[in-house]
Amino acid sequence: MPEVSKMKKPDVKVVLLGDMNVGKTSLLHRYMERKFKDTISTVGGAFFLKQWGPYNISIWDTAGREQFHGLGSMYCRGAAAVIFTYDVTNWQSLAELEERFLSLTDTANHDCIYAVVGNKADITDPKAQLSQDSDVASKDRTEIEEERTEPQVLSACPTPPASPVSFSGITLHKQVTPEDAVAFYGRILRYKGLEEKSSLPAEKMCFETSAKTGYNVDTLFEALFDLVLPSILRKRSENQESPTVDLEECRGASNKRARSACC
Amino acid sequence: MAKPSGRYSTRHFDGTKTDWDGIMERDNHQEGEAQGVKICDPPCESNPPAETLATSLSLLGNHMFPDPVESKDSNVTTVNKEEPPDSLLSDVTAEEKSLDAEPHSDHVTKLQTEETDNSECQNNVSTQPPDRGTEDAAADNDQSDSGEFVVTMLAKAKLEEQGIGVKGRSSPLLEAGTQEYPAFMSHRDEDVTADSWRQHRKHVFVLSEAGKPIYSRYGSEEALSSTMGVMMALVSFVQSGDNIIRSVYSEEHTVVFLQKGPLVLVCVSSSRQTEQQLCGELLYVYYQIISMLTQASISRIFEHKKNYDLRRLLAGSEKILDGLLNLVDSDPSFLLAAVHCLPLASSLRDNLSQILQKAITPNLVFSILIAKNQLLTIVQEKTVIEDTRLEPADIHLLLNLIGASSAFQAGEIWTPICLPLFNPDCYFYAYISYLDPPECTVCLLLLSTDKEAFYAVAECKRKIEEAMMAQNSLSLIDKVHSYSVSQVGVSDLRHFMYKPFDVPDNYRQLTQFTSPEMEAPYGSEEEKMRLLDLYRYMHSRIHSTSRPLKLIYHVAERETLLAWVTSKFELYTCFSPLVTKACAITAITKLLRWIKKEEDRLFIRYPPKYSTTPNPSKSSRGGKSDQQDSTDNGVLSLL
Repeated sequence: MPEVSKMKKPDVKVVLLGDMNVGKTSLLHRYMERKFKDTISTVGGAFFLKQWGPYNISIWDTAGREQFHGLGSMYCRGAAAVIFTYDVTNWQSLAELEERFLSLTDTANHDCIYAVVGNKADITDPKAQLSQDSDVASKDRTEIEEERTEPQVLSACPTPPASPVSFSGITLHKQVTPEDAVAFYGRILRYKGLEEKSSLPAEKMCFETSAKTGYNVDTLFEALFDLVLPSILRKRSENQESPTVDLEECRGASNKRARSACC
Repeated sequence: MAKPSGRYSTRHFDGTKTDWDGIMERDNHQEGEAQGVKICDPPCESNPPAETLATSLSLLGNHMFPDPVESKDSNVTTVNKEEPPDSLLSDVTAEEKSLDAEPHSDHVTKLQTEETDNSECQNNVSTQPPDRGTEDAAADNDQSDSGEFVVTMLAKAKLEEQGIGVKGRSSPLLEAGTQEYPAFMSHRDEDVTADSWRQHRKHVFVLSEAGKPIYSRYGSEEALSSTMGVMMALVSFVQSGDNIIRSVYSEEHTVVFLQKGPLVLVCVSSSRQTEQQLCGELLYVYYQIISMLTQASISRIFEHKKNYDLRRLLAGSEKILDGLLNLVDSDPSFLLAAVHCLPLASSLRDNLSQILQKAITPNLVFSILIAKNQLLTIVQEKTVIEDTRLEPADIHLLLNLIGASSAFQAGEIWTPICLPLFNPDCYFYAYISYLDPPECTVCLLLLSTDKEAFYAVAECKRKIEEAMMAQNSLSLIDKVHSYSVSQVGVSDLRHFMYKPFDVPDNYRQLTQFTSPEMEAPYGSEEEKMRLLDLYRYMHSRIHSTSRPLKLIYHVAERETLLAWVTSKFELYTCFSPLVTKACAITAITKLLRWIKKEEDRLFIRYPPKYSTTPNPSKSSRGGKSDQQDSTDNGVLSLL
């Protein structure tokens, strides 16, 4: 990341949420630094600034650990986009999203957009093992899912399938299908009281990624950044109307930053 | 360990409840003021409760100690701090007698002598086959209700222990553990039945009062749940007799117990450290847990649910505890309970302090600058810090957190952290950011009392960054190194640690120490550890509770050490082996003169302060609406 000598005011806030060990930090690291390396469990939350065209996007990489749960709503305050991250090889990580993380979005913007991302796809999907970034085609993966019973779309929380465990780490069974993610997306919209028709379609907002190979990672972030652009433009125009901003701008940009990012 | 002398009486546990009570009564009379510090020697005749203890010990022994024979010699004692009076000899002369002795030899001998006192009856009890012991104990169930819990636990633990111990890898518990943390293929996944596991120099376990595993330094907690059950059984058993278990000694190992609130911490060490030192290390582990969860929330959790699995909250923090234990072993700061700051020209240090002093925001309480994991400077809020001072232990915990938490280092971290010695029940919010990515050696740590202050605090960092760039501070810091002992100019001196005590005029100063780099012959990890072990030994003699020494001249196998404590300082020096006592004394005079001359460079002399709380009560306001909060921030930052 380039050194920031002059303060850049973030235009919009994106938050990564999800259980511990699903790979939130790795996803962001892959996107920002184009690398995959071993990370250690995030403490609290980490703040990053990403230049996206003329805009500054702030990204909060939060800790998935229950210990830091109390901070979640603070990170989510005023968020324009929330990335719900789970691990495709771990059913519980999807269930946790609904149990622990969904309610954190109460403090997000009213027009916040939500993405559901299944990471570690390289473990279960040969396609994701290629390091090049191919297009989203998260439909046909049947080979590994034979044992899975078809989950009922939009059912409440389906029970986890019996989890076969492999210690080799190469062919872990996929526990969460794209359909499960789509169903969860539907439940997010319902929780937020949003109309399915007027919201972004699930196909567009559910991703399977691999931070390890880079599969779908750029697609995810870039799609999301493009989608939050309207939010940025609206916020900028709002700021221009606000009478307090002029006063603050005389005092230097610092104070405005503290304010605007919090509300 | 120590034989009872005078007012301490040996307690014989008896099988029947009435007798036990009778004995307790008698003990209470005799012991008078010595409460909680009691000795319990195993009885000569084998009777059920004692056997329970012995059995559980041998269970623990089977698992912990490499040699099965050894565990039979294990010596059951709750130690009292009084040492036998015969050791009250003159300090220096006593030391000089052991000129050629190995550093620990006289310590060891003492231990062994004491062990022989007990060994006859000890063997009698603990050489019995563990199976019989358990049966007997089980049969005793209805006789002693206080023992019931212990017995049940033991019987259960015993079965599991055999399952793991004999069949090894096939334990379902072990598999569960591996499955749950596939990402961490490190110490966590060690085979706890392997010899290599037992050979670790220092094991640390944390468990809840209900006997639930919380943390183990090596191996997964699941695989060790039965071992921890036995540990808890030992604690409860001794507790049921209104007593507190503090340590167990065997030939090779020292087992130290520390109970803090609802947590029990256990250390199994072959490092030859004293109980006091090991206990201090366990306390650091406890504080690190508190720093993540706060004491208040831990008590609250266990009040609600006695058998809560605290790992739910600590999951992911194992690395922080692992890191702490590695630091405790390798960094003398913990032993000395003092902070090591990077030597820096006082003008540069003052400049840095001023930069920190100028970049403030409401509710900021500490600004700390760190380079190469050592303190550069620390600036404190005036009013917050008026009555309390920042304890070295709190800084150690912060430094460890930074070392273990640099997720990826270009980001700015915002996390709650409790400073247990400052206030064990409340959180500060820590802003952590590196100033020199991608090298990441210079780290800024800002502590605020306001959870929402991230953006304001991040702005302070920008100011600091700007000012440092203007003054070219980063490249100046980059040139700073710890010093070499050769700079002192005393030929036989190989290494030293000097810790000045507070003097009245800077009473509230942070406790610090200074020490040169460890250079040849202490370049390798093993040699470093060996020197640190020698220092630990010297430290234990200086700080012995029964017989504290002021000056020790100790000739070890490959070096000569001299430790000296006065009202002004504490000093540990290491010389080449052939130095004479007179030489060493002269050298120390020279060294002290050099330190005096370099004082301003070696220490943070007067930690500067700032004032940031126009409205100090703000932090305590909890459930305010977001709107108010941000308005407040805006208004305050305009002031």
